[in-house]
Amino acid sequence: MNEQLKALYKTVILEHNARPFHFEKKEDAGHVLEAYNPLCGDRFQVFLEVKNGVVTEACFHGYGCAISKASTSVLVKNLENQPVEKAQELCRSFLKMTNPDSQEPVEMAEEFMAFSATRDFPGRLKCATLSWEEMTLFLEKQTVENEN
Amino acid sequence: MFDPVKIRSEFPIFSHHPELIYLDNAATTQKPEAVIRATSDFYQKENANIHRGIYELAANASQKYEQVRRTVASFIGAERPESIVYTSGTTEGINLVAQSFLAGRLQPGDEVVISAMEHHANLIPWQQVCKMQGAKLRVIPVSEAGEIDLAVFKKMLSERTKMVALVHVSNTLGTINPVEEMIEMAHSRDIPVLLDGAQSVAHYPLDVQALDVDFFVFSGHKIFGPTGTGILYGKPEHLENMEPVTFGGDMINSVSFETTTFAAVPQRFEAGTTNIAGVIGLGAAIDFLMKFDKNDILAHLKNLTETATDALRQIDGLKIIGTAQNKSAIVSFTLGNVHPHDVATFLGSENIAVRAGNHCTQPLMDFYGLPGTTRASFSIYNTAEEALRLAEALKDIQRFFA
Ligand SMILES: Cc1ncc(COP(=O)(O)O)c(C=O)c1O
Repeated sequence: MNEQLKALYKTVILEHNARPFHFEKKEDAGHVLEAYNPLCGDRFQVFLEVKNGVVTEACFHGYGCAISKASTSVLVKNLENQPVEKAQELCRSFLKMTNPDSQEPVEMAEEFMAFSATRDFPGRLKCATLSWEEMTLFLEKQTVENEN
Repeated sequence: MFDPVKIRSEFPIFSHHPELIYLDNAATTQKPEAVIRATSDFYQKENANIHRGIYELAANASQKYEQVRRTVASFIGAERPESIVYTSGTTEGINLVAQSFLAGRLQPGDEVVISAMEHHANLIPWQQVCKMQGAKLRVIPVSEAGEIDLAVFKKMLSERTKMVALVHVSNTLGTINPVEEMIEMAHSRDIPVLLDGAQSVAHYPLDVQALDVDFFVFSGHKIFGPTGTGILYGKPEHLENMEPVTFGGDMINSVSFETTTFAAVPQRFEAGTTNIAGVIGLGAAIDFLMKFDKNDILAHLKNLTETATDALRQIDGLKIIGTAQNKSAIVSFTLGNVHPHDVATFLGSENIAVRAGNHCTQPLMDFYGLPGTTRASFSIYNTAEEALRLAEALKDIQRFFA
């Protein structure tokens, strides 16, 4: 089997795919985001509570490939108890790290770096970034609402 | 003798990618040298716009372009070349029939019947016309195996039914529908039938007159021809009574600022400069296909499908989706909990090209409760060895994800 591909799926992705973090529905959550890719049908809902500018709870549910599921799982896991600004920073770094057009080196923890290999698989890049992009939009709205 | 390895050598893509195991033929087929050469020769030596010029190049281009109409007509058994309308593909052909033929005939409360296994291209055009006219879209259910129950179909037809639109061979399940019987049933109630032949025309002996089908549509790119080409066949009495839906140059008789009279069939449906080089290429593709005996093609594909199906059945957790009695060379499956896109990515890294997803049949996937499948679809240049390689690669993937 292709070594590069195995590297992409390495333990982080397989592990999160098999045992995703807080994989449950919470219909009455304060905020429900939908990350949907009509091209492939991947669809995840992320349920969030935000109190005083801090993400206090996060869980997710839905269906998608191993990469999109694992990347959403990693996102959700790292959001909990983060202030919105910190969460925004995290999303920015992640999207920069996975962006094949970005030359800037980004150092992140191994858990995130696992997804950098999607740069070599252009067809799968969106799987890694789907939920992160949706989250970026949501967090932006949060900060705007806070300022108003 | 039918020799897939020799046929493969006529397709330049395989000299550029010798390792490629191309099992995505339901999406589009590869192009033989003869088709590529016909299009490039046209641009290099023969290019001119048709119908308008009176110089020699233009006259020759027009003549070649119209010659392809005769080739297509004889390929599918049409009564005359005027029954052949050039389109950009299956999708355009269906939209043209929905808007030009059907829309004006539909009254509120009327019905259009399609099947649950339609490609979006043979669903949305009807759905939208129904919505516009206050008519109802009715859907023939499919069984777990992916078959249509003729008795159910028959019951669905009534005096309210104004059209039946049906896929000949399902691009997702491979089911070959009993179109002969279905056309007869519809006609016994004077209901016109459109067949979506996108997946059937490359392999199945086809005679639109024997079928007595009202409309038959297909795409050039799925029968070894160029993208952006397609054919709409219509019975002469239908085409003659249809108004164009796209207006412009090359489709008129005379024009004033107040009024226009339209050209005869089929030109009235071919507004503007069409895909001339593509049509020339499509002619070359049909010439290429007609070199083979379709029975040989069918026997080869049946053998491949059986080899693949048998090998895939041995794999733990693999489930074949679409197990109709009468099936073409399309094998859709799920592999345990491994998502189809992960399967396709791993197969891709082994140079095996397959498709994963809903295959533009989302309602059908919903019926099976699946987000998608992985699909291997075979053509004349595939070999049994490739089918077995697919099965081996799938076993590796299953182990990796276990
Ligand atoms: C059964 C069927 N109908 C319609 C289409 C649409 O064909 P095209 O995209 O060439 O118009 C396809 C191709 O994917 C198909 O398989």
